[in-house]
Amino acid sequence: MCNDRLLILFLFIFLWCGSSGQNCQLTVDGFVTDEATGRPLSAVNVIVQETGFGIFTEDDGAFTISNLCPGEYHITFSHIGCENLDIHLDVAADTVIDIKMPHTAISLKGVTIEGEANALSNQPSVAIKKKDIEDNTNESLSGLLKNVSGVHLIQNGSGITKPIVHGLSGNRLVILNNGIPQSGQQWGRDHAPEIDPLTANKITVLKGTNAIAYSGGNMGSLILVEPSKIAHEPHLHGSVSYAFETNGRGHIVNAQAQKHNHTLSWRAVTTFKKYGDRSAADYFLNNTGSNEINAALQLEKVWKESVFTDVFISTFNTTLGVLRGSHIGNLPDLEDALMRDVPLFTEEEFSYEIEAPRQKVSHHLAKINTKFYFQDDQSIQLTLAGQLNDRKEFDVRRSGRSDIPALSLKQYTVNADINYVNNLTAGGTLKAGFQNTFTDNTNDPETGILPLIPDYFTWKTGIFTTLTKTFNKINLNAGVRYDFETQDVVAISMSQPREILRFDNQFHNVNAAFGLKYDISEIQTLTINTGYAMRNPAINELYSNGLHQGVSGIEEGNAALETERGIKSTLEYKLVPSANVSISALGYYHRFDNYIFLDPQEELRLTIRGAFPVFVYNQTDAEIFGLDIASQFSAGRSFAGLIKYSFIRGNDIEANIPLVNIAPGNIYGSLTYRVDKMSLQSSKRFENIELSVNYKYVFEQKNLLPEQDFVLPPDAYGLLGLEASTNIGLPKNRLRVVLRASNVLNVSYRDYLNRQRYFADDAGRSVTASVQLKF
Amino acid sequence: MSRSYSILLFLAITTMFSIGCDKDDPVIPNEEELITTLEVILTPTGAGDQVVLRFIDIDGDGGEGPTITTDDLTANTTYTGRIELSDESTTPAEDITAEVIEEDDEHQFFFDTDVPGLTVAYADADDNGNPLGQALTVTTTDAASGNFTITLRHEPDKSATGVAQGDITNAGGETDIEVTFAVNVQ
Repeated sequence: MCNDRLLILFLFIFLWCGSSGQNCQLTVDGFVTDEATGRPLSAVNVIVQETGFGIFTEDDGAFTISNLCPGEYHITFSHIGCENLDIHLDVAADTVIDIKMPHTAISLKGVTIEGEANALSNQPSVAIKKKDIEDNTNESLSGLLKNVSGVHLIQNGSGITKPIVHGLSGNRLVILNNGIPQSGQQWGRDHAPEIDPLTANKITVLKGTNAIAYSGGNMGSLILVEPSKIAHEPHLHGSVSYAFETNGRGHIVNAQAQKHNHTLSWRAVTTFKKYGDRSAADYFLNNTGSNEINAALQLEKVWKESVFTDVFISTFNTTLGVLRGSHIGNLPDLEDALMRDVPLFTEEEFSYEIEAPRQKVSHHLAKINTKFYFQDDQSIQLTLAGQLNDRKEFDVRRSGRSDIPALSLKQYTVNADINYVNNLTAGGTLKAGFQNTFTDNTNDPETGILPLIPDYFTWKTGIFTTLTKTFNKINLNAGVRYDFETQDVVAISMSQPREILRFDNQFHNVNAAFGLKYDISEIQTLTINTGYAMRNPAINELYSNGLHQGVSGIEEGNAALETERGIKSTLEYKLVPSANVSISALGYYHRFDNYIFLDPQEELRLTIRGAFPVFVYNQTDAEIFGLDIASQFSAGRSFAGLIKYSFIRGNDIEANIPLVNIAPGNIYGSLTYRVDKMSLQSSKRFENIELSVNYKYVFEQKNLLPEQDFVLPPDAYGLLGLEASTNIGLPKNRLRVVLRASNVLNVSYRDYLNRQRYFADDAGRSVTASVQLKF
Repeated sequence: MSRSYSILLFLAITTMFSIGCDKDDPVIPNEEELITTLEVILTPTGAGDQVVLRFIDIDGDGGEGPTITTDDLTANTTYTGRIELSDESTTPAEDITAEVIEEDDEHQFFFDTDVPGLTVAYADADDNGNPLGQALTVTTTDAASGNFTITLRHEPDKSATGVAQGDITNAGGETDIEVTFAVNVQ
C-alpha cells in the first residue's frame, strides 16, 4: 500500500568512510510508484543529467543505475503524460531511493494545499502543474485554465480574461495568490486578475462547495496560485526562457533562480511580455497589444526546528489595449457596430502602439508568514499581508483628455490571519482561524468624471473551524465560518448640486460545509459535498452608478439589496481501473436565494448622447447546475489521450428565464505520441520528444431568449491545436523546446463569453515557439 | 523574540485596524468634459424672429431627465444657424463650442429630419475642406412638422463615401451628442 511510503521522496544514504580513492562502482537502486495509487510505474525514463545515462523502469517500477563515481547527481524521471520529477542526490555509497511520481491527472486522493500538510480537502479539484505553466509562458493565469472542465473564461478580446468556475466569477470567486485573497476591482467584467502565473509552480481550481478556511466572499469555488517550497538543493538552480508568438508578434522573457541555504533560502522570478495588435482570421484587431513587467521574490528561513518564516513580495504591472472598434458612443452606435463584418478603425498595418481605450494596472503584494510548531502535531501560523491595486482606464476623449484616465482607483488591502492546525492523535485534523481584512478604496478625482463606484472602507473579521476525520473507508469533513463585515461608503450624488452621501452597513455571514468521501474499493471513490454560503452585497452592487461605455449601458446600484445565499452540492465519482485509464465525473447543483444580477430595464434613459439602456442590480432566485467529465488513458510508452466534457446551465427561477453569461457546453480531446527515445539515447541529443494534437469544440448557447441580448449568441466552433516538445541534453544544462499552434485552421469564430464578439472575430491562427534553458 | 510575544504583537496589529475610523470625503471631480446644454440658434436672413432649439440636462447622465424646448420656424424662410454647446452645471457656464471648433477635423455634426421641405446645409469647413456643421443653413418651404435630429460624432471617417455630404451611414466614430427636437414650421 502507498501508505507505507508516505514520503514523496525517501533517501537512504549509507555513508561510506573507506578509502579515499575514486570508486566508480557505486549503484543507485530504486522503485518508482504512482503517487495517486501507490502502484509500480513502468516505462518511466530515468536520466542522470551529469552522465547522460538513461534507463526505463521495469514492470515492477524498479531501476538500477550502476558504475557511478561518488559525487552529486541530478536525476530526472519522466513518463508520458506526467510532470518531470527532478531530484538531487549526493552519492557516497550504494544507495536505494524510493520515488513517487504524480502520474494520473485524476488522483483518487484529495488535494493538498501547499503549506497545510496532512490537511487533504475532499473538494473536487483540478491542478495545472509546473510543466504546463512553464510550457505556456505566453498564457495569462486565466488562459492556463481554459481547458479545465468546469472552468470558462469571460473575455474582453485576447488580452483581458477572467476565469469563471461552475458559472461564478468576480465577486463570487476567490483567487488565492500565495494564500492571500487577491484584492482588486474584481467586480469588473473586463478586469482580469493581476497575477503572473509564472511566479507559481502550481495552480489549483477547487470546484468546491465551500471554502470555509478562506475569507473573501466566496460561494464555494477557489483558484489557488501557489509557489512550491524552495527545494532543499544546495546549488543555484533556475531557468531562462524566451518565447515568441506569431499572433500579436509577442515576445515573452522569463528568468527564475533559486538556492537553498541554511541561513536563508530564496527564489526570484521576473517576467516581461510585449504584444502588438492581435489578429482575427482575416484582419488585425487594432489596439489590442499589451505589455507586462512582473517580478517576485520568495524567502524562507528556518529559525529553529519548530519556527519557520516565509516572505513573498511580488509586483505586477500591465498595460492592456482594448479593441479600438469596440469603443462606442450610444445604442445606435452599438447597433451599427453589430452590423459590421469588420470592426471600425481596422487598419492594414500591424502596430505595437497601445492607445486609448486602454487599461494600466499595477498590483503589488507583500506577505510575511510565520509558523510555530508545538510538539509535532500542532502549529500556529501568523500571516500579515498588504496589497496595493492601482487601476487606471483610459477612454477616447475630447481635447487631448485621452491621456487622463476616465477611471482611476487605488485599493489598499491588509490581511492579518491567525490559523491553528492540530493533527489529532486519534487521526484527523482540526483547524481553526481568526482572519481580518481591511480594504481602503479611493477614486482619484483627476478623471474629471463622476466615479462609477464610490470611495469606501471595509472591515471584515472572520472565525472558522474545520474538522477532517477518517473512519476506515470513509473520510468526513465539516466546518463552519462566521464573518462580520462593516462598510463605510462615501459617494457623490448624481443630482446637482453635487453632495457627499454617506452609507454605513453591517453584515453577518455564516457559512457551513459538510463532505464525505467513500473509498468504494482500491480503484473507485465517491465524494459528496454540500455547502451553505452567505455573501453580502458588494459595494458595486449597492452603489455603482454611471455610464459603462464598454457595455453601452447605464449601470445603477441598488442600496436595498440583501445578502445572497446559496447551497451547492457536488457528487463526484472517480474510477482508476488500471494505471492506464482513469475516469472522473462530477455533477453539481447550486441553488441561490437573492441571487444578485444586472436587470435590464424596459425604459431607455435619454441623455445628451442619445438613449441608453439602463441596468439595475436586482435579486432573484436562481439555480446553476452542470456536469464535468474527464477521462485519461495511455497505451504503453508511446500513447496517451485525454477527453473532457463540460455542461452548464443557469436559470432565473422567479422569472423562469435563463441566466445570461452562462457558458455553452464544450468538448476537449487530446492525443499525445511520445517517441521512444531509447534509440536516440546514444546521441544524447533529444529526450522526451512529444507530439500532440488537440481539438476543442464549443457548442452554440441556445439556452437564451433573443430579447436577453443585443444579438444572438454566436455559432458553435471547433479549434484544432498542435504541439511538439523535446528536451535537449547539454553537457551541464538542459534545453527545452516547445512549438505550439492554436486555431491551426485559422477559423473565424466568436465566443459567447468574449465581449469583443459584438464587434470582431476572435483570435486567428497563432504559433508559439519557446525555448527554456534550465541550469 | 519569544513565541508568545510575537503572537501578542500580532494580535495588537490585528486589533489596530479593526478599530473603525471614517473614510475621508471624496474630492468632487471637476467635470470639465460635461456637456449639459445644446442650443441651435437660427437667425432668419431677412426679417423675422430668431428661433432657438434647446436641450438641457443639468445633472448629466443620471438624476433628472433632460428639458427640451423649441420655437416654431416660419415657412419659406432661410435661416443662418449656429450650434452652441455649454456646461451650465458650473457658474459661470463653460463654453464647450470652442473645444469642438478647435478639433474640427476630429468632429462632425450630422443632421437628419423628416420634416417635409426642410433642408439643412453645412456652412463651415475644417482645414481639409470637410464640413464641421457648427455653422449651418436651414431652409423651410411649406408649413409642416416632424423631428429634427442633431448628432455629433467624435473621430468620424470624413473621407468615407457620403460623409462630407452629411450622410452619417459610413461615418463611424463615437457619438458624443444625439438630440432630437420636435419642430413645427408655420
